[in-house]
Amino acid sequence: MDWAEKYRPAHLDEVVGNSTALRQMLDWARTWSRDKKPLILYGKPGTGKTSSAHALAADMGWEVIELNASDQRTRAAIERTAVSGSTTASLTGAQRKLIVIDEADNLHGTADRGGARAILDLIRGSRQPVILIANDLYAIPGEIRSRCDGVQFKALQARSIAPRLRYICAAEKISCSEQALHQIAEAAHGDMRAAVNMLYASASGRERLSEEILPSGKDDRSSIFDLIVAIYGNTAPEALLKIAYDVDETPDTLIQWIEANLEGIPEIDDLSAAYSCLSRADEYLGYTYRQQYHTLWRYATSLMVLGVGSVADRRGLHARITPPERWKRMSSYQKQKAVRSSMLRKVSSSLHMPQRTFLETYMSPLGIVIDRDPLTYAREFSLDADELDLFLHDRARAASVTRALAAEEKAEVTKKERETKSRRKQEEGGKMRQKELPAKREEAPLPEPPAEKSSQKSQKTLFEGF
Amino acid sequence: MEDTTMIWIEKYRPVTLADIVGQDDIVERLQSYVRTGNLPHLLFTGSAGVGKTTAAVALAREFFGESWNLNFRELNASDERGIDVVRNQIKQFARTSPLGGATFKILFLDEADALTPDAQAALRRTMESYATTCRFILSCNYSSKIIDPIQSRCAIYRFRSLSAEAITKEILRIAENEKISITGPAIQAIVYIAQGDMRKAINALQGAAILAQEIDAGMVYAITATARPDEIEDLLSTSLSGDFEGAEAILHHLLQDRGIAPNELINQCYRTIVRREMDPNLRVALIDQLGTTDFRLSEGASTDIQMEAMIAQFVLQARKHG
Repeated sequence: MDWAEKYRPAHLDEVVGNSTALRQMLDWARTWSRDKKPLILYGKPGTGKTSSAHALAADMGWEVIELNASDQRTRAAIERTAVSGSTTASLTGAQRKLIVIDEADNLHGTADRGGARAILDLIRGSRQPVILIANDLYAIPGEIRSRCDGVQFKALQARSIAPRLRYICAAEKISCSEQALHQIAEAAHGDMRAAVNMLYASASGRERLSEEILPSGKDDRSSIFDLIVAIYGNTAPEALLKIAYDVDETPDTLIQWIEANLEGIPEIDDLSAAYSCLSRADEYLGYTYRQQYHTLWRYATSLMVLGVGSVADRRGLHARITPPERWKRMSSYQKQKAVRSSMLRKVSSSLHMPQRTFLETYMSPLGIVIDRDPLTYAREFSLDADELDLFLHDRARAASVTRALAAEEKAEVTKKERETKSRRKQEEGGKMRQKELPAKREEAPLPEPPAEKSSQKSQKTLFEGF
Repeated sequence: MEDTTMIWIEKYRPVTLADIVGQDDIVERLQSYVRTGNLPHLLFTGSAGVGKTTAAVALAREFFGESWNLNFRELNASDERGIDVVRNQIKQFARTSPLGGATFKILFLDEADALTPDAQAALRRTMESYATTCRFILSCNYSSKIIDPIQSRCAIYRFRSLSAEAITKEILRIAENEKISITGPAIQAIVYIAQGDMRKAINALQGAAILAQEIDAGMVYAITATARPDEIEDLLSTSLSGDFEGAEAILHHLLQDRGIAPNELINQCYRTIVRREMDPNLRVALIDQLGTTDFRLSEGASTDIQMEAMIAQFVLQARKHG
């Protein structure tokens, strides 16, 4: 049996690391009522999201209903499993049922059509606690994200991974050198599953494990640091290129790192020489992609590595190596883009016009109208705070409007429920008790949730429903 | 099939894990999976011709014995044009139960980095949902192009480019088996041409063996249409010394008399320039010239003019940085 499964923690106190997140989950569960927002556990793979969700349920004595990757995530499927699960009583007599939706950031494309919408309905209609799990918080449709509380799972420290590996070795009766354990813990880069897999890969079938042959870790990002150091150091050209190939990153990533670390070359003459090498390298990257002629990649790599290397000329590196600043800017830009496109989709479909027409001609006038009465329009177009802010340009105000809207929505739900209850009471007097109905509200239909990623490349959706 | 008509890269493809050369650490680990009867999902990375496919097939043979063909399937993510085909084939294969008493099947997905991130996300679902009946071996050139959630679920093995010793050893084994004699320089020539790629090495050997029973370096260079390293050095040093006419004559000889493809010539010049002792700025300038010429040729420019222009630039750059 796979060790990652075999040694999956059964209780919260066995989960390694992320104590803040775990405490947040436990508080949420202990005080859970229908008013509580569902949780989104997000973070890199192997940081314990799924394990924590299951361990939480075990500790609380809740039953788990899992909707995961393997299900075709159509609306019907979600409704079948989750909505029924969330409203009917448990057979085993467990108090509550925890609904866990794994890979909530992969809801897009044709096969999952309506999946996001169904999750949204589930979240609003559920009488049971719901936990969503995702790698990328911003890949979750905004409507869902805004109705949940995020719990971040951070990459684990090597020093907290090592003890768990030691425990597994003891349980499997494998003697293992401390150094080998640390090597694995480091190589896993904060990913517990990867660490356990690596341990399994190197130790299964042996009685002892020393720091000899271990399978390679996950992608070894640290070697990109080696490359930067080598560029500034006294490295022979052939050796420098070998490091560049060993880094196992494509040249377009390398060039970003090299550019981000040009600080070591302060003189403007040298700096501009370095930039002209990078710029030539960048041209080759462009040719490579345009022509799909990958031989040209090597010129890009040589020019950026040898070119900057000859400018740096053994001066050594004295600054800290930093990841490309542009990436940070890009991630906030991507968020902006996601917000913008989801707003456009909602508004233009309600107004029955192409997005472009709306953007070019109607966006500014509508902004003025919305500014007068944001609540009404936010309700009409079901805009969330970020989207509303595109019109109001006032973050605080947009947030307060959406809060008011949420309160309104909640009041509506409670009212409906009260009505259902009193109606049921009347009915109970006469007839047999009817089957419980899910608390569904009649509301203006929400527009199709944004399929944030799928619009970019048509090919991407082809694999859906694998 | 007659031995003479058989392609050597297939004929001499290692059958057992123990036969694989140059990847000793990896082989040792893979053998221990066979001993325990357990196999995690695997991710093989490395360049062409270093033994990724061979290792996967050999692993399947050792796990399943006679019935390996029934329980092993090889798919190429970039070949199968209809992604639907891949999708259906993978699922179809993964969900049926293993045959002949095996406890699981193995699916080998070559060039998995050709899949888009979304396709990989879908693949991850399949990997998880059929994990009890099917193990996946993914192979790729760049593991950074494989999404994190998949990397996290696989044991990763990096196949190294094969060393000169490993290639020499295999070439000698084949030569002995085929009863051909091969000179030391000819082996060096094969190692030079192969650049760590066993497939290239064996191909060159088989090509040369068609010419004669006794193989020398000249035949290897001739059959693979490759210039000798000293010819390339000659071309470079002549042009860098400022003698354009002399360099032009060498160029013509290589292109026309020897029939070496311009791309191959550029390729060899590149390898030499990277290694050669010279002013670092000149090196960068020359590499840029090579790249420019390579690009122009790929755009369909005329070979003769571009290659001569490149030599002219070599002369000019040498003077500038001299």
